[in-house]
Amino acid sequence: MTLQTAERSFSVSPTARGIWRRGRAIVLVGVIVVIAAVVPVLLPSGSSGGGALLDPGDSSLVGSRALAQVLGAHGVEVQRVDDVATALAAAGPDSQFLITESALLTEQQAARIAAAPADRLIVGDVRHLDVLAGGLTAEIGGTPSRSRSPECALREATLAGDAYMGGSAFTAPAGSTGCYPSGGKPTLVRYVADGRTVTVVGDGQFMTNLRLAEDGNAALAMNLAGAKHRLIWLVPPAQSDETSEPGGSGGSGGSASEPKTIGDLIPQGVGWAVLELVIAVGLVALWRGRRLGPVVAERLPVVVRAAETVEGRGRLYRARRARDRAALALRAATIDRIAPRLGLPRTATPDEIVTAVAARTGEDPEQIRPALFGGAPADDSGLVALAGYLDTLERQVQDS
Amino acid sequence: MALTGRAGLLAALGALVVLFAPRPGLAVLGVVLLLACLIVVDLIFAGGIRPLRFSREGERLVRLGQSVTVGLIVENPGPRRVRGVLRDAWPPSAGAAPRRLGVDVPPGERRRLTVTLTPTRRGDREAVTVTVRSLGPLGLAGRQGTHRVPWSVRVLPPFLSRKHLPAKLARLRELDGQHPALVRGQGTEFDSLREYVVGDDVRSIDWRASARRRDVVVRTWRPERDRRVLIVLDTGRTSAGRVGTAPIPLASEPPEGDRRDRGDAARRPAPGWPRLDWSMDAALLLAALAARAGDRVDFLAYDRAVRAWLSGQARTELLSSLVNVMAPIEAELVEADSPGMVAAVLARAKRRCLVVLLTDLNATAMEEGLLPLLPQLSSRHLVLVAAVADPRVAAMASGRGTAEQVYDAAAAEQLRGERRRITSLLRRHGVEVVDALPEDIASALADAYLALKAAGRL
Repeated sequence: MTLQTAERSFSVSPTARGIWRRGRAIVLVGVIVVIAAVVPVLLPSGSSGGGALLDPGDSSLVGSRALAQVLGAHGVEVQRVDDVATALAAAGPDSQFLITESALLTEQQAARIAAAPADRLIVGDVRHLDVLAGGLTAEIGGTPSRSRSPECALREATLAGDAYMGGSAFTAPAGSTGCYPSGGKPTLVRYVADGRTVTVVGDGQFMTNLRLAEDGNAALAMNLAGAKHRLIWLVPPAQSDETSEPGGSGGSGGSASEPKTIGDLIPQGVGWAVLELVIAVGLVALWRGRRLGPVVAERLPVVVRAAETVEGRGRLYRARRARDRAALALRAATIDRIAPRLGLPRTATPDEIVTAVAARTGEDPEQIRPALFGGAPADDSGLVALAGYLDTLERQVQDS
Repeated sequence: MALTGRAGLLAALGALVVLFAPRPGLAVLGVVLLLACLIVVDLIFAGGIRPLRFSREGERLVRLGQSVTVGLIVENPGPRRVRGVLRDAWPPSAGAAPRRLGVDVPPGERRRLTVTLTPTRRGDREAVTVTVRSLGPLGLAGRQGTHRVPWSVRVLPPFLSRKHLPAKLARLRELDGQHPALVRGQGTEFDSLREYVVGDDVRSIDWRASARRRDVVVRTWRPERDRRVLIVLDTGRTSAGRVGTAPIPLASEPPEGDRRDRGDAARRPAPGWPRLDWSMDAALLLAALAARAGDRVDFLAYDRAVRAWLSGQARTELLSSLVNVMAPIEAELVEADSPGMVAAVLARAKRRCLVVLLTDLNATAMEEGLLPLLPQLSSRHLVLVAAVADPRVAAMASGRGTAEQVYDAAAAEQLRGERRRITSLLRRHGVEVVDALPEDIASALADAYLALKAAGRL
């Protein structure tokens, strides 16, 4: 049946074992990279690192659970609030806001808090300080935090003594009290604005679980935060399921009053259907992307038109306006073609050629000589005219 | 493995289910799991590719411009039916069609598929791979595998100048004295005596023989036989330049519709055939003619080394051997080594022969390479240089009207002047020169050969 079947066919697809053998090094490297990336992330979170800064519910080194518990033991009602509406609802003359640098407020929220009838304790590098504490400006650059002495008449500070202060130094408005100075500028300022006591502290580290036991940090924190019966402790809004730990009044009441967004109106199934469509697109991509066999490469011969060198020379002539060379080439070609027709040898002199051409065509020798043996044309139109005249001469010689 | 469009379609339909399901999250999971199960089932029940056995049958030779079919036999020794698509991959210039074939081989049976090759370029074309995608019973997914089924097809030069052969052979017969017009044979070798018939040239009457026979007897002549013709093909860089218009469309040419800029296409015409291919065409006609005329033809292709050498072929097999030897020759992008070429010719041609050198009349290459060495060759052999002229240069030389065209014309005339100078230098060395346009080169070379034969110069 077959004419020539000497050569056997054989499979060149990789076997599963071959794929594993070739790919295992890559897989190994990938696994190492993933482990190297994941392990450092997992390890510190197991110990203490990922705590919430100055959070009354956080027991890590940067949290402030110890302070909140001590305050609670001393009869201060600590409300941990993660949205501004709840905080404003709870605000009253017998309450004090505690705004730390982790509470990310917008400018409008800051303004609403500043307008609320409650004292304000502002700790650390809080955004919109100019709104929350009008008239106060922070020095640019800040100062290092270390143990400092009060050096002022503020009762809360003198009772507490040395404390771990620093962070920002402030230029206080008139009528204010400044303590714990750094380079002459206070890092704790208390003043009264619109009947509300505003206390600004440059650094909140003295309130953390880490620093609370040092120096007079605990006393200072107690004195400042426990000034009013109720402390409204603003924390950033929770991303996950831990809604409100100590003060459970927030949550449902605030969100129910807000208007529904378009996202709430779309049924839940649509999102999942879009996910399903994404999967479908992925499958279609796999279908279209799978090639039926390898791409075939071929060694192709070079494609060079032989006339390219001539065209290049023509462009060079044109670029340099080389009329002399162009005219020379055209004249030489014409003479080469007409000389045999005139019966002239290759060695004929210009005079002989001109005479012979004139005799054959009847043209004026004085016109023929500059055309065949003259100088370069003055311009391009002269060159075109010369080429035309040479053609005419050649035709006349051929026709005669 | 490979998926089909059905898998994507099923997933898209799953989106509708998810949209109206009471628990959309679970529905997504369910649809994905169902799809995965179906795909796995399909993969399990698809016919295996690895055990398939392939073999080929069919032609191994094809002339450029013609088509050839190659049969591919698929044998399925496995337990499951192999149903799906098959791609027999060839290099692009092999012009394999169709690109993909349907295949359906029940277990234990074999099927024959055919692939048609329409090559667009000379040379050897090797089959690359055979890839089969075997779909499962649901048509959602399939197995895919590749086999190597060796086969090669040699694409021979088309010998387009064959059309000139009858006319040239008629001319040859005229020389032979066999023509019905009874023209006196113009050869130089004494053939035979025969009776005078009216119309014979009286100068060819052999008086001595007439006296013996008591009848008027004339001598007949015939052209010399058993002379040697050595065709030398220069495959150096000058033979790579493309001239004329390709009689058979090139694979590298984009289709007409793809050329967006018409003006650009007009200014830059499609590249034609390499000089090498035109030279081969001329060499084939010359070889065919010389073989009929009773001469021995040898063939040498040379650039910096011997690319091909053919000698001592029987007259009946000369042409087929010659095209076979020529087929894989490509122009090398190196300057031809003229001393080496002359040495190779001298080493191979012991007796006087006609050396036909197919090259280009490139002024610099000639002056530095061949011209100083020509006396060595022409003292022992008759040398004929044949070169393919470029019609584009001729068209440029006649350009008039605008300054640009006149500059181009000057450049073209410059080149033609160089060629004329080289030609006259060669003729002064006693070398015959044939310089013709691509379409005429074969015919012109054959005429030059016939003229030499008629003049008895071989």
